[in-house]
Amino acid sequence: MKAAIAQYYPGHSPLHRLDPRSKFVAVSVLAVALFVRDSFAGLAVFAAAAVVAYALSGVPASWFWRAFRPLLWLVGLTFLAQVLFAPGEPFFSVWIIHLSWRGLELAAFLSLRLVVLVLIGSVLTLTTPPMALTDGLAWLGRPLRRLHVPTDELALMVTIALRFIPTLLVEMDQIMRAQRARGADFRRGGLRERAKALVPVLIPLFVLSFRRADELALAMEARCYRPGIVRTRLHPLRAGAGDAVLLAMTAAVITAGLLV
Amino acid sequence: MSAARSGAARSGAAPTGGTSLPGMALECRGVGFTYAEAESPIPALRDVSFALESGGTLALLGASGSGKSTLLQVIRGLDTAEAGAVLLDGAGPGEAAYLALQRQVGLVFQTPELQLFASTAREDVAFGPRRLGWSETAVEAAVDEALQLAGLPAAEFGDRHPYALSGGEQRRLALAGVLAMRPRLLLLDEPFVSLDPATRRELAAILARLKGAGVTLVLATHDVDLAWALCDDLLVLDEGCVATAGAWSAGPEGARVLAAHHLREPFIVDLWRRLGRDPALAPRTAAEAADALS
Amino acid sequence: MSALASDTALPLLDIAGLHYRYPGARADALAGLELSIAPGEFVAVVGANGSGKSTLARLVGGLEKPAAARRAWACGHDLLTEDGRLEARRDVGVLFQNPENQLVAECVEDDIAFGLENLGWDPAAIRARVDEMLARFHLQDLQFREPHLLSGGQKQRTALAGVLAIPRRALVLDEPTAMLDPAGRAEVLAAAARLRDEGLGVLYITQEMDEVLDADRVVALERGSVVYAGGVTGLFEQPELVRRLGLGLPPAGELALELAHRGRRLEPLPLSVDALVAALETGR
Repeated sequence: MKAAIAQYYPGHSPLHRLDPRSKFVAVSVLAVALFVRDSFAGLAVFAAAAVVAYALSGVPASWFWRAFRPLLWLVGLTFLAQVLFAPGEPFFSVWIIHLSWRGLELAAFLSLRLVVLVLIGSVLTLTTPPMALTDGLAWLGRPLRRLHVPTDELALMVTIALRFIPTLLVEMDQIMRAQRARGADFRRGGLRERAKALVPVLIPLFVLSFRRADELALAMEARCYRPGIVRTRLHPLRAGAGDAVLLAMTAAVITAGLLV
Repeated sequence: MSAARSGAARSGAAPTGGTSLPGMALECRGVGFTYAEAESPIPALRDVSFALESGGTLALLGASGSGKSTLLQVIRGLDTAEAGAVLLDGAGPGEAAYLALQRQVGLVFQTPELQLFASTAREDVAFGPRRLGWSETAVEAAVDEALQLAGLPAAEFGDRHPYALSGGEQRRLALAGVLAMRPRLLLLDEPFVSLDPATRRELAAILARLKGAGVTLVLATHDVDLAWALCDDLLVLDEGCVATAGAWSAGPEGARVLAAHHLREPFIVDLWRRLGRDPALAPRTAAEAADALS
Repeated sequence: MSALASDTALPLLDIAGLHYRYPGARADALAGLELSIAPGEFVAVVGANGSGKSTLARLVGGLEKPAAARRAWACGHDLLTEDGRLEARRDVGVLFQNPENQLVAECVEDDIAFGLENLGWDPAAIRARVDEMLARFHLQDLQFREPHLLSGGQKQRTALAGVLAIPRRALVLDEPTAMLDPAGRAEVLAAAARLRDEGLGVLYITQEMDEVLDADRVVALERGSVVYAGGVTGLFEQPELVRRLGLGLPPAGELALELAHRGRRLEPLPLSVDALVAALETGR
């Protein structure tokens, strides 16, 4: 039932209290720096920063693991690809497989970098409610409004989409159950047959979703929503001293990471 | 396999309007179930035990979230009991006939739109029988019979688009889709929700006819009055546990159990008590009550 | 317009000869609708599935444009004009049947705030109003709960709190209890009863005949037209009409009808258990 993305972990850690905008900026520049710098020493600095952030977040390790698990295959694949196909003088060769020290080193570096990146990204999503995150993104995207990009409307759309993911999953489960109760079997047969069996599942799901969209739009209008209006917020974005500290520390970490 | 054969054999005879449908005995022995993905794994069902004889009618009452829907899904085999067992006609999950028996358990879900997907009513109802491997003539006969039973005669409704039907008609079409598989045990999850009083009466009449035909019925509902009119047995669930199970006695014990679970007594039972008559002898329907009072 | 708005003696809703047809439909969903409601009045609206009850809620709430009307005033705003409809949306709250499809935000308090955010209230004022609503609908413990983790009754209470967070003068409730269990139903009914005491005009759409009994008046719809408007007992004293409309009587009334068929006529027609018991005992 859980979406395979790092979910928000409700809490009151210093990181939870920070402005989503500063968190987003910090994570973005860290990610860029992480890719600019290609040495183990630099990676070690960023990894240390990520571990400190993780410790400050107060999020249990199991939540991090849950966010991380779906990406494990990506890390594994990166590692394998580098080990098997990287350049360098091979010390071991069988068939098309050539292992080299250079290849092993590159594989370790790239997969570790991916792990650090995911860790940093998860700190953001685990300590920031999705709505605050979309609000922050909408604010950061404001310059785009000049190009007539409806950033606030997009942010609201994303919030609503996130809100309805669990509902849709429950609904899809119910539809499949109703059809299993009438003899459908979604586990039998080849890929083609399974795909065909899903068509009758998607039809009611779509019909219900369109009706939901209609009713939801009506309920929003009944509460005075109109596209293009200027909305205020119950929780306005507010940057404080903590955000200044965060950005200063991010700058320090990046400087250290790039210079070591 | 055996279901397919017996189905084909039965439909070989002329459709009889369902009057010869047999029932099925149901027994739950210490059934327990927990949703794996629940935030906090509190069991949805705990040690649920009751028995319902073939042709019996059971009202399943309880607050939202008390486990009514879960129990229906476990009985149908969509979820597997992690403790205890569901016995169908006395057979347990390990026995050879069990799968075939499970296919003769029909389950109608609460939201009809979740169950409809084909482009005509006829096609939608045919979905189940086709999965049973019946011959096309047998499927056709079963579809016509089921549509008739559900009060949607094929000549008038067969070619209509399911989504173009009214709410009440959709509800009955979803029922027809299950009836076409000739269930011997029919499980209904909140069939009366969002229906106007006339449509509710029509649906109740259809269920009464199925009861008369000998089909075993389990009716999960919040409508105590309709449940009282249709069901002889009562099962009240409270947070996944059985609060009471057995013949629906309208005596003081029954009143106490209902009150303890935010359920009111059936109107007629309440009336009988206030008139100083024995509530245990309260009739089931307004017509019977009027006979007794006039 | 301002003169109308300040005069509380005038009806909150004043609608006559209103027509509405859904795009692509062959018949009017509302055909010559007549309706009025005064402050503090609780009017029940009944009718079979598809008789136009939900369409009525949409029109009265300023959410759809009437095709035509002789008069269509909601809280002093003309529903025939675009501006009037937008103004009406602020004064007339609408609570829909399916609570699942009304909650937009990721937690209870953010959802209650949604309407006020749209109106551009100051954050401090929103905070105060949201806290007031949380207390009033007993939602404090659920303040940060995500909508999909709420029970049906809790969802509907949250939706009602969100609708009423905007200060309203009239409220339309579209079968708000249909999907709830008895406990959830009692919660919503109690909340609705308090609103009437606070002077709001309440239009209560329902399929439950026993919920009609407490209304000041009842309006019955058939194919988009009003076929009865008046006292509650007046409607139920016409059993043929009630049957034709696809409705029913409250259980006591149904039983009294059965008795009448058997030659035992109770006058006046009892509609509650109490009335039925009294009538049966005096008739003895």
